[in-house]
Amino acid sequence: MGYSFRRKTPVKRLFLISFLVLVTASAVTFWSLPEQQSDRPILYWAVMPDPSKLAVREAFYAWRAELGFEPVELRLDAANRDLTKKMIQGVSGVGSDIVDAGGLHMQPLQNAGVLMDVTEAAAKYGATPDKTYPGAVSEMVFNGRQYSFPRNVVANALWVNVDTFERHGIEVPSRRWTIEEFERIGREFVAAANPPEAKSRVYFTSYIPRKPMRRSLGASYFNETLTRCTLDDPRNIELLERVRQWVVVDQLAPSREAEKAFEVDGSGFRLKAALFHRGNYGMLYLGRWALILLRELEPVKLTAVETPHGGFPNIDINVGGVGVYAGSKRPDLAVSFLGFLTSERYNNLVAQTGDSLPPVPRFTETETYLRPAGHENEWGAHEVFSESARDIGIGQPSSPYVLSSITLRVEVDAYDSMIAGRLTPEESAVEAAWRINREIRITLDSNPALKPSYEEALVRQEQIDALRAVGKLVPIELIDNPFHREYYRHNGWLAESPSERLGDDV
Amino acid sequence: MSMSPASRRQLGMGLLFLAPNILGFLAFTLFPLVASFGMAFTDWDVQRHNLFRDDPLRFVWFDNFSLLFTHPDFYHFLGNTFFLMMGLPAAIGGSLVAALLLTRAGKSRLAMRSAIIMATVIFLLSSLVLTLGGADSNGLLFLFGSLMATVLVFGAWSGGMLYRTLFYLPHFTAGVATFVLWKKLYNPQSGPINQTLAPLLERLATVVNGGGGWVLGAVLPALLLGAVFVAVGLQVKRLRRKIRDGELGSITRFAGAIGVAVPMGLITWWLVGDSGLGWLAAAIAAGVMLATTQVKPDPLWRNRVRAATGLGGEMIMAMAVITVLAAVGGIAAVGVHLPAMAADGLEPPNWLGSFQWSKPAIMIMALWAAIGSNNMILYMAGLTNIAPELYEAADIDGASRCQRFCHITWPQLAPITFFIAVMSVIHGLQGGFEMARTMTAGGPAGSTTTLSYFIYIEGFETGRLGYASAVAWVLFALVFTLSFLNVKFGNRYVND
Repeated sequence: MGYSFRRKTPVKRLFLISFLVLVTASAVTFWSLPEQQSDRPILYWAVMPDPSKLAVREAFYAWRAELGFEPVELRLDAANRDLTKKMIQGVSGVGSDIVDAGGLHMQPLQNAGVLMDVTEAAAKYGATPDKTYPGAVSEMVFNGRQYSFPRNVVANALWVNVDTFERHGIEVPSRRWTIEEFERIGREFVAAANPPEAKSRVYFTSYIPRKPMRRSLGASYFNETLTRCTLDDPRNIELLERVRQWVVVDQLAPSREAEKAFEVDGSGFRLKAALFHRGNYGMLYLGRWALILLRELEPVKLTAVETPHGGFPNIDINVGGVGVYAGSKRPDLAVSFLGFLTSERYNNLVAQTGDSLPPVPRFTETETYLRPAGHENEWGAHEVFSESARDIGIGQPSSPYVLSSITLRVEVDAYDSMIAGRLTPEESAVEAAWRINREIRITLDSNPALKPSYEEALVRQEQIDALRAVGKLVPIELIDNPFHREYYRHNGWLAESPSERLGDDV
Repeated sequence: MSMSPASRRQLGMGLLFLAPNILGFLAFTLFPLVASFGMAFTDWDVQRHNLFRDDPLRFVWFDNFSLLFTHPDFYHFLGNTFFLMMGLPAAIGGSLVAALLLTRAGKSRLAMRSAIIMATVIFLLSSLVLTLGGADSNGLLFLFGSLMATVLVFGAWSGGMLYRTLFYLPHFTAGVATFVLWKKLYNPQSGPINQTLAPLLERLATVVNGGGGWVLGAVLPALLLGAVFVAVGLQVKRLRRKIRDGELGSITRFAGAIGVAVPMGLITWWLVGDSGLGWLAAAIAAGVMLATTQVKPDPLWRNRVRAATGLGGEMIMAMAVITVLAAVGGIAAVGVHLPAMAADGLEPPNWLGSFQWSKPAIMIMALWAAIGSNNMILYMAGLTNIAPELYEAADIDGASRCQRFCHITWPQLAPITFFIAVMSVIHGLQGGFEMARTMTAGGPAGSTTTLSYFIYIEGFETGRLGYASAVAWVLFALVFTLSFLNVKFGNRYVND
């Protein structure tokens, strides 16, 4: 018996019904898209929608209304904050309009062209680099072009729980202190806080900040022109030896192993803040934004100190940068958000909520910032963050020849291996430097376009080395590494004015 | 031959029905597969080759592969992958044991009685641990003990269905959820595992420091090491018999030698702390094994034996031997070092945070997941297909339980074991991504980074899509080679 196409068999009906259901569902999905529902233009911002971000959104609406701008809808997207998602969505043409591009996110996103060059557009709204901290500029500007503006600046210092120190009868460190003082007070602290019968360990600090300590000794991830990793510098090896002593023997800070033990049940920072509050850590290494976590708990007497130094005081700065997606459908609206970040309304909001430092430094001189009402226990700590950021803050070292995420991963792996006893401090430093330099070679081999700038930087490096060898001043424009600029300036090795560039001796 | 209009319509209709699946396969499987092969020979970097960057894509021939083979991390991560795969024999064995138990559960009163006895023993042991460790801080342990007992009792009582479902639970529970659960179990501070171990280790330290160190640090290791040597002797005897009987070829002896050499090297390294001596011990063990198994097959079999006869089965056996000997030797090594370790008290491990413990921790979790997996279901199906007449005949012949298993059950399950071994090796090589991503981020110091996680890091974190594709194809080549060896030499036929 022949098969009739026209005959309606159950399978055909099922197929037809499925087809119709799918078509209807697609239509419903399309019509329920936010763009179809809202009468205002929509901007997406991939960020955690915590209360402070919700407050920012409301302030943005109010700011636009005040200035008579067209109303917009700002949607906070919590699901796509991860760097890999930002990158893949960005390069595929479906990134969020406003891109959080702080810390490790900035370099890959900028390299990939995902971030719009906002040099002119941001200037229209007054969001220019000179409006924020000098130490933050290296994370916003590449090759003279601006790609972001900070929504906050994180100056990492050490919070001190004064109550804990008093309980154990230990002096609170002075605001600026040396590595030797850190070691002495730390040993006294752990001896006093950990009697033999104690069950849980009390640490002097939640973390030993290797990066600013390394800088304070004159060493950095990279050389002056960012062409070579210098983690094998003897000064870094010396620091690693000390850190191993502090972590493994003296137990001034938890090893990453022990840190992870604490982190298993929490999101990390929240638990660290709780342990600091409870007295398990005498000091907490975090930016001012720790207040968001600490204010949820009973007030304790707080102060803050700079990271200990070995001759060159400095603190580490992270820029909470915000950029505009190069594929945004409404870049004009997105750029206006950068302008909003310079407004008084926004900066006072940051000052109030404690979400690190307001991007515009002058708002750290207000009563709202320095003496927030209802938080008297914090008074005196706020200026440590703002003044340190302004005076001794140094941004992240990122080389155009290797991704910062690789640098960080390699350094942390080598450090972990040292703490686990698999490598000596020297082996750890040499291994990290070797691997990062290998990555630099791989980048150059795979991206020949970088070679001319690399060759030019190598020539500059030779010039710097030659000038240094004969004790002459080094012109500032020869140096790319923001650390070295500050370090040379501190030591009087930098030629900044034309008269100094004549080759004066140091 | 031309088709009639009706046939064409039928064909069209058939293709229409198949179209969604075919299109899906083409778009989401075949195209990415072909594209990734092409990408492996290019310098595709997501930071330079995308919508916003117009750098030309370069064909780099085998550069990505040569870079990979000179990359020290590749060998480290390959080693991690193989290390984690050492748990496969235990996982396969566990699935078989679970299947054997589950097919028996509910069938007889004996099963019910066995289950209740097991439940009671577990309950009693839990209570004992509670008493030793101080019941006030170990409420969770009590809960777990009770829970396990309840599962066993109710499973047996309900005729096996609930019991089977519970065993299968790890397989159909979302991976991330189970990983988060295990992360909590492994928590060094508050996890129930360490809550249980802490008081026991405290007692152990007291015993060792109070004079028991001699027994635990010398006698016990000596006994265990003696057991290792006895096991090696039995393995030699077994290999000699099998070679004489024509069941193993000349090449296959090497699998047997490796199965002993690897654990001997590891044990020496753990005992002495010198990797050079470990290599030497492994080489000596391999030499001794090859020398002692140098026997000729009986003339009856001589013409039937090929060089690779029995290689597949012996490779699986070698993995099992490595696992068992390394475990026993490892305990002996711990015993030797115990007095020194106990001097400052013993603490439970930081399972996921420690370089030394992270891999074993993941293996234990993977073992738990693998026992109640599809392997168990396959074995259960295989067990129900074994003809009861074979068992009846064995009963008449007076075969013991062990003989019934060795001569009927195990050979009859050979095709299923073969399939499971092939699939497990494939999954083992491809595995470890979810666990690394969820539980350890590949750390500490890369100790839990497997090849699949390495592909993710290179492809999506670093953005080198061409290089990541090359790693993926090298992984494919590994999977293919091992599967080919399995298919070529594996024992996949029922030994009638």
